[in-house]
Amino acid sequence: MKEFALMMIGAALVNNVILARFLGLCSFMGVTTRVDTAAGMGLATTFVITVSSMADWAVQTYLLDAYGLGFLRTVTFILIIASAVQFTEMTIKKVSPSLFQMLGIYLPLITTNCAVLGVALLLVEGKMGFLSATMFAFASSVGYSLVMIIFAGLRERLVLADVPRLFAGPPIAFIVAGMLAMAFMGFSGIATS
Amino acid sequence: MSAHHPNSSPADSSAALRSVEGIARVVRIDGDQAWLEPEQTTSCGHCASSASCGVSAREASGIGTVTSRLQARRFYLDNPEGVSAFHEGDRLVVGVSERALLNAALTAYGLPLMFALVAGGLTQAAYGEDLTTMLGMTGGLALGLIAARINARRLAKRGDLAPRFLRRARPDETCGTV
Repeated sequence: MKEFALMMIGAALVNNVILARFLGLCSFMGVTTRVDTAAGMGLATTFVITVSSMADWAVQTYLLDAYGLGFLRTVTFILIIASAVQFTEMTIKKVSPSLFQMLGIYLPLITTNCAVLGVALLLVEGKMGFLSATMFAFASSVGYSLVMIIFAGLRERLVLADVPRLFAGPPIAFIVAGMLAMAFMGFSGIATS
Repeated sequence: MSAHHPNSSPADSSAALRSVEGIARVVRIDGDQAWLEPEQTTSCGHCASSASCGVSAREASGIGTVTSRLQARRFYLDNPEGVSAFHEGDRLVVGVSERALLNAALTAYGLPLMFALVAGGLTQAAYGEDLTTMLGMTGGLALGLIAARINARRLAKRGDLAPRFLRRARPDETCGTV
């Protein structure tokens, strides 16, 4: 249990997908102008990363490793991620058309989010069991969502702040992102994974 | 979609309070219902409703294209008073409350995930095998989707998920500037 907790803290905070591994930076800058959209995107990405990681682990273990097809890993994972996004879109549409109307906007953006592929490839490197791999993927995506929401909150405040004209907009956002990354470096003293 | 615009009329302000807004175009009037399609821009990041990047709606058609995605996201406004004043091609600013968006996201993504992870944990504790855990987690995910469906129906009955008409869009207004 302690190992699980440490692994999850490590994946979410210490080796944060965005601020330590620098994955998913497109959505990090593009969808963080408002907290609610960042939260929606974060939850959608969390779902897709976790579900696609379950499928990635199964395919890696029972197909690619078993038949020596490791060289097909990247292309296979991309296919699985695209299928997971499509599956999610279709399922939500079926479960509730109203939810699909509200949340469907985020799903196509996730297909090209490199954080999803990055987490899947990290799972393979980690050589974990199924539950560990899924928990690692879930924790990584929770870390992603956390940073998205924090950064969106900061950017909402930045709009109201008196920022010098030369720094207004993306420049000050990049500076804040750098400071946030430095703040997250402080977590490296808590746990390692 | 973006923040509520401070210059909108006072009559609309209460409805739009703490709402997420977007621009949609009226594509069909059907009795007391107006069918709308979210507006599409041509470049990445300009609009959260972009179904794809760099392709105009006219250029794309067929399965999985921008046009088909926009058609799939058509929705209706069930507002008899307002609908009588709408015409095809009108550009409207519509919104949903922030709380509704968060509730919807938690229902659609949070519930199934929670069920899957709990089921996976329990199966692992009981059997300790990867294959069984995988089956347990998949079963949990399916149960979670059923729970999401039930909760979504409850939210829809309360009217929490329905977008509301806020005001007409100004000619120079795009989904990136609402």
